[in-house]
Amino acid sequence: MTPSHRTGALSRRHFALTLPSALLTSGASGCAAPYQGTGRPGDPIVLTLLSHYASGTLKEALQRPVDEWNATHDRVRVRTKAVEFTDLLTTFMVRQAAGQGADILHPYCLWNGQLVQAGVLRPAPSEHAEEIRRGYGGAAVGASSVGGTIYGYPTEVQTYALYYNKRLLREAGVERPPRTWHELEEAAYRTARRDRYGNTLVQGFGLSTYDDSTTVGQTLALLNAAGGTFVSADGRSTAIDSPAGRAVLDLEHRLVVKGASAPGVNVYKAFQSGQVAMVVSAGWWTGSLKAEMGKDYRDVGVAPLPVPEAGDKRATLSTGFMLGVNTASEHPREAWEFLRWLNTEKVSAKSANRGATTTRMSSLQVSVGSLTGRAEDMRTLLGEGSDPNLRPFLDALAYAVPEPNVPGAQQAKSLLRKNIEALWTGQQSVDESLRTIRRQVDQEVSRSW
Amino acid sequence: MIRRRFPWFSYLVVVTGAVLTVVPFLDMVMTSFKGPGESGTLPYRFLPEAFDLSNYRAAIDQLDLPVLFRNSVIATAVITGSVLLTSSLAGYALAKLRFPGRNFIFRLVLSTMMFPPFLFFIPHFLILVHWPLAGGNDLFGRGGAGLTVSITALAMPFLVNGFGIFLMRQFMVSIPDEVLEAARIDGAGEFAVWWRIVVPQTKPVMVTLGLLTFVDAWNEYIWALLVSTANPDVMTLPVGIQLLQDYVDPTRTMPIVMAGLVLSILPVLILFLLLQKYYIRGVMLSGLK
Amino acid sequence: MVNALAPETTERVHSPRATGSTVDGRRRTRPRRRQAVVAYLFLAPTLLFFAVFLVLPLGFALLLSMSRWAGFDLGEIDPVGLDNFTDLFVDGSTFLTPILTNTLLFALGTVALALTGSVLVANCIDKLRFQGLWRTLYFLPIVTTVVAIGNVWKYMYEPGGLVNGVLNALGLGSVAFLQDPDTALPSVVVVQAWASVGTAILILTAGLKSIPESYYEAAALDGAGPITVFWKITLPLLRPSLLFVCITQFLTGLQSFALIIVMTKGGPGDATNVAALEMYRQAFSYGDWGTASAAAFVLFVVVLVVTLVQLWIFRRKGEDT
Repeated sequence: MTPSHRTGALSRRHFALTLPSALLTSGASGCAAPYQGTGRPGDPIVLTLLSHYASGTLKEALQRPVDEWNATHDRVRVRTKAVEFTDLLTTFMVRQAAGQGADILHPYCLWNGQLVQAGVLRPAPSEHAEEIRRGYGGAAVGASSVGGTIYGYPTEVQTYALYYNKRLLREAGVERPPRTWHELEEAAYRTARRDRYGNTLVQGFGLSTYDDSTTVGQTLALLNAAGGTFVSADGRSTAIDSPAGRAVLDLEHRLVVKGASAPGVNVYKAFQSGQVAMVVSAGWWTGSLKAEMGKDYRDVGVAPLPVPEAGDKRATLSTGFMLGVNTASEHPREAWEFLRWLNTEKVSAKSANRGATTTRMSSLQVSVGSLTGRAEDMRTLLGEGSDPNLRPFLDALAYAVPEPNVPGAQQAKSLLRKNIEALWTGQQSVDESLRTIRRQVDQEVSRSW
Repeated sequence: MIRRRFPWFSYLVVVTGAVLTVVPFLDMVMTSFKGPGESGTLPYRFLPEAFDLSNYRAAIDQLDLPVLFRNSVIATAVITGSVLLTSSLAGYALAKLRFPGRNFIFRLVLSTMMFPPFLFFIPHFLILVHWPLAGGNDLFGRGGAGLTVSITALAMPFLVNGFGIFLMRQFMVSIPDEVLEAARIDGAGEFAVWWRIVVPQTKPVMVTLGLLTFVDAWNEYIWALLVSTANPDVMTLPVGIQLLQDYVDPTRTMPIVMAGLVLSILPVLILFLLLQKYYIRGVMLSGLK
Repeated sequence: MVNALAPETTERVHSPRATGSTVDGRRRTRPRRRQAVVAYLFLAPTLLFFAVFLVLPLGFALLLSMSRWAGFDLGEIDPVGLDNFTDLFVDGSTFLTPILTNTLLFALGTVALALTGSVLVANCIDKLRFQGLWRTLYFLPIVTTVVAIGNVWKYMYEPGGLVNGVLNALGLGSVAFLQDPDTALPSVVVVQAWASVGTAILILTAGLKSIPESYYEAAALDGAGPITVFWKITLPLLRPSLLFVCITQFLTGLQSFALIIVMTKGGPGDATNVAALEMYRQAFSYGDWGTASAAAFVLFVVVLVVTLVQLWIFRRKGEDT
């Protein structure tokens, strides 16, 4: 998923719906001292779990299975702690340095390289690694691995696809969503509208400058669709200045220059009010669009990400989170056992019919409008009657490329974002952007080894 | 004669500046009374529709202000008390006692004011983490959480203040030696001399130093942010209000946050207005160094 | 403290010289040793603190700046020489531009604004009645936490906030002050200057009061206008106070990032990222303690150089006149 959105716009949204409930996660409920172990026989082991499921429905969705575990297990108890996503990485690092790291961590997979290199994450024991490899799609397993070693159970998985406003496309005479980049550009120019003073009324194609995740996510999704990658196979340099990378930046640059995109406008507000015809975004957004748009949601369509030429192989970006165990945990066996129970044990799914079974994590994620990397669970939970707009994201699980998670990936992502934004605002050309990205990202990822 | 004419230009400058200074505070207070949907909407309105206190109630509940207040009060009290005590003791030694190494130590105290705080940020944190025999640590400071589990972590790096020592010393130098000598001849020990003669004589400057330290400690943000990230139990007011605004009802976030901020700056503001004479003198004295 | 008393009283009673020597002798010789012991007892908490929180950290920071370390196990500090420092300035590093440049611009902008404002206001307040009242008003931001200042201004800069409200009322369009990379840094500079102008006014006022009245009277006899008086008398004689304000504001500007964390977190992009904030992030978000410590020392050198340059300029000007 797009994490900071989840915690920014989306969690606020959820919050608005579930209020009034005063939630002082880190202040009140997360204030327990680190488990220090009384050592007395009979005292339960307490495992702490630190995530960004800090408020609203996300917090409740996680608490439900945790309560269930605590009600049925006397010897091992699980206690959740949470901080906002923007503070999550810093909290992992600071608490680890302060000897107060939680037993179970829920990192954004982008950080796995850094966390493994710093010795925070424990490799999954072989029986768990085996179960993970068997149960999840390739992108999810790849995102949860560093250098071929699996470090945790994939939880939330997000894939990227093309959101479009059916009404705007129809009004501009575009009958079906674009399948190739050429069609995408055509549709963007035809749907874009300005008033006589030059103010943008409708953007043909929205480019988000909202945060790291949305800004970089859309560009990396297009890059993957063009067959390119951001980081080279060995993880020590960037591959952005390939023909695919140049094609993506050229495309975005053209859209801005020709007035089909206005990066200064917040796409994540404008799309809802019918001011944007097409946006590349992740699956979590369907949930908040539905809540925010009400009746108008019937205008929203989702199509697989267009590829450069008709007949090109489909590809898109996938991002995600995983649950891993801290190297500093005193009870790794119990922690892995809890994770197995949460992520791979099948129980009957409430929403699905006729005794179908899914994992607790799959039910949890679907209940908050996300996906997991377990395709058959998703098909069970998203059977008939569910939002058809989720299908393209589910289908993309099969061909999506995981976001690179080498050490320094978070810094590389920020550098990429800064340079894309500089390109969009006309501060640098496509050539300059590619050159600077290469210089800065190479410097960052090479020194992290 | 410049002073005889009516200084209309000066009034213009000073009043404009004063308005610019006060308006943000008024905006904060006004916003703290605004209802849902009243803040952040166009067109901008300065005054709230009604002055009701519901945002203040929400701030106390949702931001858990009592806990934040408690932590801020404890940390501030410990820092202020410690700075006053150590500054007075050290200041007395440097001003009135003769001993080998006095000049060196005085220069050391002066030099501590030269080092910018950010230089110590990382090592201070690590030193607290690896504090021997605390928070589950062994004798070599390994294995546990050190002092970061304790509220003392908030105060530790601020317990002694080079400027405080300097200030006290400068004032104590002017106390006549004869007074101290007379007390010594009467059989008073150095501790008694310090407590019965020096401390009472330096009360005004102690108030000044105490006030400066109090305001700084109460408003401290960066260090408290780091310590609270490691251990949310010890979160102080500024950190709490900043960090917890994400958890508040989004349509009312700003008004509730502003209400929390008004409540959090009130103690300092009242203290400042009551004792501003001392505070202003302190700032002027800081120009001495 | 009790210990400090004990040896001294016993000595007073048992010392053979206590009865025989004159008052003068007592003052000069025997008590001097006693005084030294007492003095060090008085200084003990301070010295202990400086050992643990000044000397030790400096050494530790220096060691870290020349090491690679994940931050968790003291046994795994891996010395790498000057690599961390060269990495900061290598081609492709963002430390020099924009981060260090931003730091200097931020400090320079703050000093320029705060100094101009405070010289103007201090000079004007000096001519008015109720000077105490005015100073109190200007002082409010100083005693307010940076979290309050940052949030209030952040809110005022928003499209529905006070600043844009005023712009709109004047018929001007809204500005995305903190969202636009071109306006973000100046917008934060304004707030930092706003918050620090009170202290500067106070110190300059003290400086103004110390200028002898006779100078102004002499100037008035010569028929000098207020502007000439300001440039020829007030400013030159205010030099010590100006120097002090300049140096302290520069120091604060170069190292403060609390306001930036509250208002922009360094964004958009790197538009408001400064060296101290980068140091904080490298250490506590990315776990790169070595780079962070190296950045801290580089910033320390910058602070030193800037301070020395100011001292040099002011001193040279002093010799000119």
